[in-house]
Amino acid sequence: MKNSGLSRQNIYVLIASLSLLIVVLSFSFFILIPKGKEYRIKKSEMIKIRRESNRYEKFNQDTLSLLKKLQADNRYTITALSTQFSEERFLKQHQQYFNTLTLSKKVIGEKDDEFITYDVNTTSKISSPKSIYDFLDAINKSDWIISVNFPIKFKREDSVIYSTFSMKVYSNPKKDLNSSK
Amino acid sequence: MRYSYTKHRRKSAFTEDMQLLLIFFTITLLMLLLTYLFLLFKDYKFDESKKNLNQKQVDLNISIYNMKKQITFIEKQSIFAETVHTKNAVLKDSISNLFDLVPQRITLSEATLLENGLILNGITPNKNVYNFMLQAPLRSIFHRTYSSFYPAENGWFRFVSTNYIDKEEEEIELDEE
Repeated sequence: MKNSGLSRQNIYVLIASLSLLIVVLSFSFFILIPKGKEYRIKKSEMIKIRRESNRYEKFNQDTLSLLKKLQADNRYTITALSTQFSEERFLKQHQQYFNTLTLSKKVIGEKDDEFITYDVNTTSKISSPKSIYDFLDAINKSDWIISVNFPIKFKREDSVIYSTFSMKVYSNPKKDLNSSK
Repeated sequence: MRYSYTKHRRKSAFTEDMQLLLIFFTITLLMLLLTYLFLLFKDYKFDESKKNLNQKQVDLNISIYNMKKQITFIEKQSIFAETVHTKNAVLKDSISNLFDLVPQRITLSEATLLENGLILNGITPNKNVYNFMLQAPLRSIFHRTYSSFYPAENGWFRFVSTNYIDKEEEEIELDEE
């Protein structure tokens, strides 16, 4: 007897193969390909974000170097502005320019976010104007930022000159100036 | 009663061909699944990295903002300190100029430096010496100069010289420059 068609087993194999083909195609077209596209988009997005992040990091590094450089260059100013005024220390440091030097009062003047000022009245006795020049030079190198203000009064009595002037000592409100991020 | 001398062959649906086919099917499906899992894993990793990088950017932004604030503050302090130091240096020059201005024949007893003026008290041998040797240079510096004399015991003259710079005129001069 002649076998007229596919055997039962071959039919099963054919059905299974077709099912597999359908499953593979459906899985690929409906799940894998969209997911792959999404992956590709996300990958290029990530490259952009990484590039941006590196740019930020470089900018952060540059800013930090600039800050460190500024802090190093202006160490004197920063320290001087954050040092609290001390009458005793001032007198000890600047007494040498005068025969006598007295500070009459220390008043906390203007106060804002940036500076507190101390108003100090100074009376001194000098033997020559050179002392006052030396004092003004020394004040620019002192431990504080001090400005000598008008009016400045000189009065000659015999061989000595009495001078009276007011000074403004500038100081920062307590702030951590040296900290850097 | 046996009709055949051959033994019967046990037939199974899992023939060798079928087994091969099943292995092939399994490998195919496994590969698809693994690819899908790989994509899922990558997706998760991307999301994680994105979240971390975004957080890092926010932190860097805050850090840059704080540093910029500090930089501005230090620059402001530096300019301020420089202004104060310049002011003191100018003051020193002003005092030096004042003492240089007074001729040897005139003796000062008192000098007051004001923000916009100068008051001098002293003694001069005569009015002409004062007028030519002190008042003339004072007039060239100040806008308004007032002098008053009164006789001293030794025949000399005590004088009070009040000199002012008008701020408005000073500003106009600066504008013209």
